[in-house]
Amino acid sequence: MKKVLIILFIIFSISYARTKLVALPDREISYIRFDAPYTAFVEEERILTLQKGINQVDFSWKGVNIDQDSINLTFLTNPDKLKLISLSYPPEGNSLIWEIYSPEGGEEKVRISYLLSNIDCLYTYKIVVDKNEENINFTSYIILRNFSGEDFEKGIVTPEFGKTFETSTKNEETKQILIYQKDGIKFEKIFVFDASRMIWDPETAKENVGIPVYFEIKNVKESGLGEFPLLLGKTRMFQIESSGSSIFLGEDNLKYIPVGESFRLYFGDSRDIVVKQKKMKDTKINIRKNNSGDIVLYDTDEIIRIEIENFRDKIAKIEILENISDEWDMEESTHKYEKIDSNNIKFVIDLKPKSKEIVEFHYHRRNLR
Amino acid sequence: MKNKIFLIFLIFVLNLFAKVDLVTLPSREKVQLTIYNSADLTLVRDERILTLKKGENSLQFSWANTLIDPTSLDLIPKQDVASINISQLIFPPRVSELGLWKIESKFSKKIPFEISYFTSGISWEAFYIGTLSNDEKSMELKGYVKVINKSGEDYENASVRLVVGKINLLEMIRVLAKRYPPYGTPGYLPPAPLIEKERGVEMLKAAKAVLAEAKEKEIIKEGVSEYFLYTIEGTENLPDKWSKRLLSFSQKDIPVEFFYKYEEERYGKNARRFIKFANDQNHKLGKEPLPDGLIKIFKYTNKEGNLSYMGSDKTKYIPIGEKVELDLGESKEVKIDTKLMDLKKKNFVFNKDGNISGWEEEKIYKIKVTNYKNLPVKVEIKRNFPHQYWKIEVDKNIQWEKYDIGSVKFTLTLAPFETREFTYKLILFEGDRRY
Repeated sequence: MKKVLIILFIIFSISYARTKLVALPDREISYIRFDAPYTAFVEEERILTLQKGINQVDFSWKGVNIDQDSINLTFLTNPDKLKLISLSYPPEGNSLIWEIYSPEGGEEKVRISYLLSNIDCLYTYKIVVDKNEENINFTSYIILRNFSGEDFEKGIVTPEFGKTFETSTKNEETKQILIYQKDGIKFEKIFVFDASRMIWDPETAKENVGIPVYFEIKNVKESGLGEFPLLLGKTRMFQIESSGSSIFLGEDNLKYIPVGESFRLYFGDSRDIVVKQKKMKDTKINIRKNNSGDIVLYDTDEIIRIEIENFRDKIAKIEILENISDEWDMEESTHKYEKIDSNNIKFVIDLKPKSKEIVEFHYHRRNLR
Repeated sequence: MKNKIFLIFLIFVLNLFAKVDLVTLPSREKVQLTIYNSADLTLVRDERILTLKKGENSLQFSWANTLIDPTSLDLIPKQDVASINISQLIFPPRVSELGLWKIESKFSKKIPFEISYFTSGISWEAFYIGTLSNDEKSMELKGYVKVINKSGEDYENASVRLVVGKINLLEMIRVLAKRYPPYGTPGYLPPAPLIEKERGVEMLKAAKAVLAEAKEKEIIKEGVSEYFLYTIEGTENLPDKWSKRLLSFSQKDIPVEFFYKYEEERYGKNARRFIKFANDQNHKLGKEPLPDGLIKIFKYTNKEGNLSYMGSDKTKYIPIGEKVELDLGESKEVKIDTKLMDLKKKNFVFNKDGNISGWEEEKIYKIKVTNYKNLPVKVEIKRNFPHQYWKIEVDKNIQWEKYDIGSVKFTLTLAPFETREFTYKLILFEGDRRY
């Protein structure tokens, strides 16, 4: 289904008789670049047989969505000799006419470029974790979705990342193409308890309260990646088990990850890590009153206690995220913490297999009104 | 027999300018189902032997009227991996429920391949039956799994594996299975909704489907990542629209604690029956986590083995080593009466305008616990207070603990038909008396 047509009208200026000769030059090769969402930048090469004098080249399209103002013509064989005299848009639309002056007759290779809609690339990823949870196999696919109305028999496709490759693509065809595969990539598994979003006492919940588990991978050479940025795409994660087969762990969207950055993929919840948080103290202290005896300023004295239990037979790295509003001072804490910002702190705990640990921190919120 | 998945192996032979298509239908060698219970998802691995020709081979896979997610299709050679290149999967124009793999082979040879994909419509659930001894001190527990196939495809001689755990899914497989084109069209890729509508109803309907009689098979259990994998011994036939029940484990003489709880704010004015045990070796369990499911509790009523039904509860997932409390509902066997016997306000303080700025409230409660049973009972009574500024004085012989900043828990053990009363004094600090 070819919908982009090139018709070459050659006008012999001799005796002003407008005789038209029509030739349909074939597309030699097409370069398809995916630089913008849902749109491709197409550069196609064709051979035009030009006559001496003014040639009229009619470029028209039907059933495809070409941005007509993006259309550009470049001479490749004789760029110095040929002249593009004019470009006009006929009233019926979806076409344009170039007037080309050629000092002598002959074949000319031209490059016609334009933006074509309804053709794009998606990215998907597959992660397979090995049996001992040491390395992962990382595979990346391009999904070429061509609903542009146009077939490309010989397309040189340049995705946003990864290598350029040659493929054909038919209108309304979807193609999954393997573009990258790498074994032995390092990762870390992290459990996250976010106190501001999760249930504090799992016993009060009707359903199980799972602790979200993430794979953390660095897009750097040291961990086996770092060759190019990773683009947004659905990532399905698997793990090999003792029989050599694998199970599906879950899926998450990988966001745009530049080289040098790390990313986390949430694959599921662990129910073998149980976190129970309680408030053990919350009283007002340092109370100031006005003349009417109303409290105008006070501090608080608060204690938070978190019991973390690892029912797994492997060590678990757990991040505990806590939110403390307002102005505050930490009095004491059983564990070291990192201050993320003025109201958020993070504990990172490596919990031994089949063990329990209690994190308790005591703080004052200051100058509350 | 109504298999809906078809594999067509196309071999293009260039014979004197005539393109001859040879078609072979490779049969299913092995099939493995990995069924999830937290999502409507099953990972299918289908093993087939293909006779590859040197050069380019095409494998056509079609799945009309099934619930297969085309974006999950994968083809993996099981041997000679380095000599076989599967670089493309094509979903041809204007054809739905069909995919075409391009396979490049360095030689002509028979190669086993594994085709894997996700399907929806197959589910499993766990359920339990517990039988208490006459003295309520021990229990026999049987765990079952039920596999329900509503996928539209028959699976014969399938090895069945069940995954216990909650996976993260971005889109529902059922919706992906119905989406055409498989990846949507450019510029518009609506995310498939994740809300599982009426799944419970479907599950219930499926549960009423014919149950196949199964001989008792062993179920092998192992942990994989954050999940638990149950592998059912041997293979199973799972025709479309059929369900199958299998015994997962059976354990006798599990020591249990039978007790009663009382907490007005949570359960109202009646005591509730609970059974407590732990998924550990002391309780003759602890070999595997117990998946969430409905548990029905029965009790032996006589030596002839007649049973009575005690109640049921939905259990959560129970990790190895974790304790379990089953709520068997309200009970009339134990009665708890709480009465406020006395209320006094005192120790008022006034501000400089002469208004009240603080005081203390002294409340005396009497709690009467009656055991109407011919067995001793343990009762846990939780009392919640309106705020955290309080002090308590409890009768000396009563065991109690501070549960958290706003509550206490009393624990009593009563002999058969015993009635016991105790009082406690609660002092609540109000206004300026708090600080």
